[in-house]
This record gives sequence, C-alpha cells and structure tokens, in this order.
Amino acid sequence: MKPLRIALTKGRLEKDTIEALEKIGLDCSAVRAKGRKLILPVGNGEIEVVLSKAADVITYVENGVCDLGVVGKDTIMENGSHFFEILNLGFGRCNFALAGKKGVDFYEGFGTKTIASKYPNVARKYFESRGMDIRVIKIEGSVELAPLLGLSDGIVDIVETGTTLKENGLEVKEYISEISARLIANSASLKLRKKEIEDLAEKLEKVL
Amino acid sequence: MITPEGTKDILFEECIQKRKIQQKAAEIFTARGYNEVITPGIEYYDVFDLENAGIPQYEMYKTSDNKGRLVVFRPDLTLPIARLTATKLQNAKPPIRLFYNQNIYRNRKDMSGRSDETAQAGVELIGAKGLKADIEVISMAVTLLSSCVDNFRIEIGHAAVFKLLADKLPVSEDIKEEIRSVIESKNYAALGEILDELEPSSYVTALKRLPRLFGGEETFEEAAKYMPDDDVKEVLDYLEKLYNSLRKLGLGDRIMVDLGLVQRNDYYTGVVFSAYAYGHGDALLQGGRYDNLLQEFNAPMPAVGFGLDVDAMTSIMMADIKPLIRVPEILVHADEDYEVEAQIKLNDLISQGYKAESSVFDTREEAEAYAKEKGIRQVVYVGKDSEGVIRI
Repeated sequence: MKPLRIALTKGRLEKDTIEALEKIGLDCSAVRAKGRKLILPVGNGEIEVVLSKAADVITYVENGVCDLGVVGKDTIMENGSHFFEILNLGFGRCNFALAGKKGVDFYEGFGTKTIASKYPNVARKYFESRGMDIRVIKIEGSVELAPLLGLSDGIVDIVETGTTLKENGLEVKEYISEISARLIANSASLKLRKKEIEDLAEKLEKVL
Repeated sequence: MITPEGTKDILFEECIQKRKIQQKAAEIFTARGYNEVITPGIEYYDVFDLENAGIPQYEMYKTSDNKGRLVVFRPDLTLPIARLTATKLQNAKPPIRLFYNQNIYRNRKDMSGRSDETAQAGVELIGAKGLKADIEVISMAVTLLSSCVDNFRIEIGHAAVFKLLADKLPVSEDIKEEIRSVIESKNYAALGEILDELEPSSYVTALKRLPRLFGGEETFEEAAKYMPDDDVKEVLDYLEKLYNSLRKLGLGDRIMVDLGLVQRNDYYTGVVFSAYAYGHGDALLQGGRYDNLLQEFNAPMPAVGFGLDVDAMTSIMMADIKPLIRVPEILVHADEDYEVEAQIKLNDLISQGYKAESSVFDTREEAEAYAKEKGIRQVVYVGKDSEGVIRI
C-alpha cells in the first residue's frame, strides 16, 4: 500500500500539524530534521508529508496527488473547494476583516467603493452577499498601503492582533469570518482509503 | 499555434487506448439492447437552463447562431438525450435504451489542470422505474469498469434522503442549499455551525450525521438509528435491498454506500452512484435516477443512467503502457513505372495479415535507409526484375 500523503502548508501550520501528529504517537523526526527536502516520511512510513505553499496544498489535493492536506480556511475561501473539508483543526486561528482609515465611515456616500486585497474572491463574495458592487484591486504584499496611498477605500485581509493596522492609522470596520486550519481530503481518496483517513482524523480530533 | 487551455491533442497509443474503451463500452451496451445516438455538439442554451440542471452558466461555452439565439457547446449529455427522447422518440414505446460516446465541453477555471473537453461513454434507460432498472444500469456500470480496471470502488446513495430530511426544516431554500453544499464537501464543522442555530429536532440530528454515514453494510444499521420518519426509512430499505442485490454481483468490498452523496446537479431523484479508482483524484463514473427531468421536456417518464469519463479511464490505463509509435512490418517500394503493381502487392500483403506501408522514395537505397531508421524489418520492392525482398 502506498503511504497516505499529506500536503502541509509550510510555516506555522506545518509546525502545529507536526506537533499534533507527534501527540498521536507518530514519529516526525524526519520532518524535524528536514533540511531542504520537500517530501518526508512520518511514523513507520505509513504517512508521507509534502511541504508546499498554501494554495498549492489545495491544488495537490484537488488533483489527487496528495490524499490529505492541511490548509487555512482563508486559502479555501479564496481558492474554491473541489474536495472534502473533514476536520477543523482549530489552530492557526485568526479573522477575515474589512479595515479602513480610522475615524472614516466606510459606507459613507453613494460612490462605488474600492477594496484592495490579497483575497479578491473573498472580498467580492462578501460584498456580493451584502448586495454591494465594488471595485477589487489585487495586491500581493502589504495591503495596508493601499488605503494609505489613496488607492482604495478599504482592505479585506487577515487580522490576528490588529497591531499592523493600528500602527498605520487603520482600524477594523467589521469582521467577515473566523479562520483556522482545516484538514481536507481528496474526494476519491476518502472513498478509496476511508478507514485510514477516518482513523487519522479521529485521532487528531482527540488531541486538539 | 497550440491548443486552447484545457484541451489537448491525443496521439498514437493514447488514441488506441481511448478507442478501445469506447469500443468496449459500445459492445457492452449494444449486447444489452442499447442503441447508439449522436446528438449535436452545439445545442440551444435553454436545454441546459433548467431550474435543477445544476450546470453553472459560467461553465458553458456560449455563442450565438445567425438569428442571435444563444447556443452552447453541450456541457452535459443527459439533457440532450432527454430532449431527443421527448421529440424524435415521442412515439417510441418505453422502455427506451440509448447509449452515447461523445464529448462534453466545460469552461473550467484557468490553470487548474482540468479538461474543458471530456469524452464520455454512457447509457440512459428511459421509461423504466424500480429496482430492476436500477440493478440493470448499475450492474452494467460494474461490467464496464471491470473490463478496464481491477481496483475500483463504486458507491451508491439516494437523492431523496437529503431532500426528505431538509424539507422538514423550517428554513429558506438558500439555507437548504448551504446545508446541502457542506454535506457534499463533508464539512462537518460548518454543518454543525449551521444546524446548531436551528431548533433541535430529529431531522437536525439526522442531517448532522448524514455526511458521516458512508461505508459498508454497517452504514444501514447506523443510519436506522437517526432516520426519524417512515418515508426516509422506506428509502433506506430500498437502498439496502439494492446494495444487497449488487453485492451478489461479486463486488465484495468494492461496493459502498454513502448517504451524504448529494450532488449539485440535482435532476437526480432516486439512487445516485459514483465510481472511483486509484490513479484518478475524482469520480470516474457518475450516474443516477432522474424521474422528473423528462417532464421538463413535456415527456414525463422515469429514467436512470450513467456516464463514464473516458479520458480519465484512458489516463489510468496509460499509466501502465509505454507510449510507442507502431511500426509496420514491411515497406513496399515501387521502382519507376511499377507504382500500380506495388499497390497491388501492398494490398496482397495486407490481406495476408501483414502491416505494410507504401514507400514514397525514388530509389531502393533511400527506401532501405528509411526502413532502417524507422525500424521496419523488411523492404519488398516491385520492379522490372520482378520482385525481391531486402531484409534490414
């Protein structure tokens, strides 16, 4: 039997997932001492961990080259969902929020608002649900710059502590949704390897 | 120039594999009394614009005809066949057994690696309801899958389970759709969040459990604990009967049940099924019963059918096959003025069962060099000193 392959989002989610895997008794020493390797064995080789960028986790799982993935809800909301989202892992908690210049009423006036975001789909969907047409501008880096430079009326972004916003004269106008890490599964894998996947998910759920 | 995003050229060995699957499907269908139909590649948009067709508008390739009417590259095959049955076959006596081997077109998300053009092979059994028809169609799907791969799983579910439970909830259609979509993606957490806001009832509990109710025989026992009403129980009993009948086909653990199988394209009203195999990350074959669809075309009749993703099956089978270019055994070369004689010789060799190719070169030396390069083992020449063979 081929090992169960799990794609992990590099960085903090990776660390939290490895901790959880160790808690359920799987040997993760190979991942701890990974060097530059991107595919690593876990446990006695029954699981294989793949390290990748968040959006790529979804791509690998959707296409079935990885059976499972650990990815933030933010990435899922932005990148569609042709897979099973089987477990809320609880870690990597933060919020999607609409933010703008401090003291300015975001909804003032009748002009079409401009939103800068790393998550254009999330921004578009949120305002669509409120019956508002907006102009969305995709920004790759520090989104906080856009309203400061006068490019946009607001931003839609992930907010953890709100420190960056505060230091730049911005504030949260409203929260859009809560975010945390999710365990996702390829639709064929969940059917073909149901027991293995369910066992793992159940064990993880217990140690969260 | 290359092909548009989401499409591809198919060459040689892959063509052979693909045609083999299509041919196998055609043989299996024909042997069971199904007749082939070919529907046009473009259809009026309206054919696919039904309330519950479940084909998103943005996924259809659209254009207009010379009168400005909206037409689409067919994104689905069941709807055109329903249209055809309601028109061309309106006087036919049911049951009507039809099959197809055609492409569908979907405008997929850019760079997702998914195909915009997919070959499907499938059947529709129209004008027949009940267990016999369902068994016939699913067992045909099993025969087709078994003829291509060893290691597959087929799972069955029932569209009415979700519908009966959701209809009892005092919520809007939008929320029902939200519930359906989180059950479909087995998003237990989100499902819990939506349902916890509703007033607790046996229906809420059952829906919460629904995405987890998949697996083998034990699923029915587990499900029985949660299903509150007789109507849902009846559906479960039917599904169990079908499951047990299909087990007798020697499927063993390869048949599963999933009560959380709630697809979006909900023209399905009864049994629904999907098949999966190692090497492909998505369903290979999908089907189900759609008793209300033909009514949309003014020919109310029950029906059941399935479609196999021929391209996905081809790629699974190609994984074990090295792509190669088939080389003929003999090259037939004509000296000047003996072209016709050479063709007669070629036909003669072919009728003896050889694979032979005609030389387009001027001299025997050139023909020989070509044969050597391509790996053709012998050159037969036809000329004034009659015939001869050069072995390479």
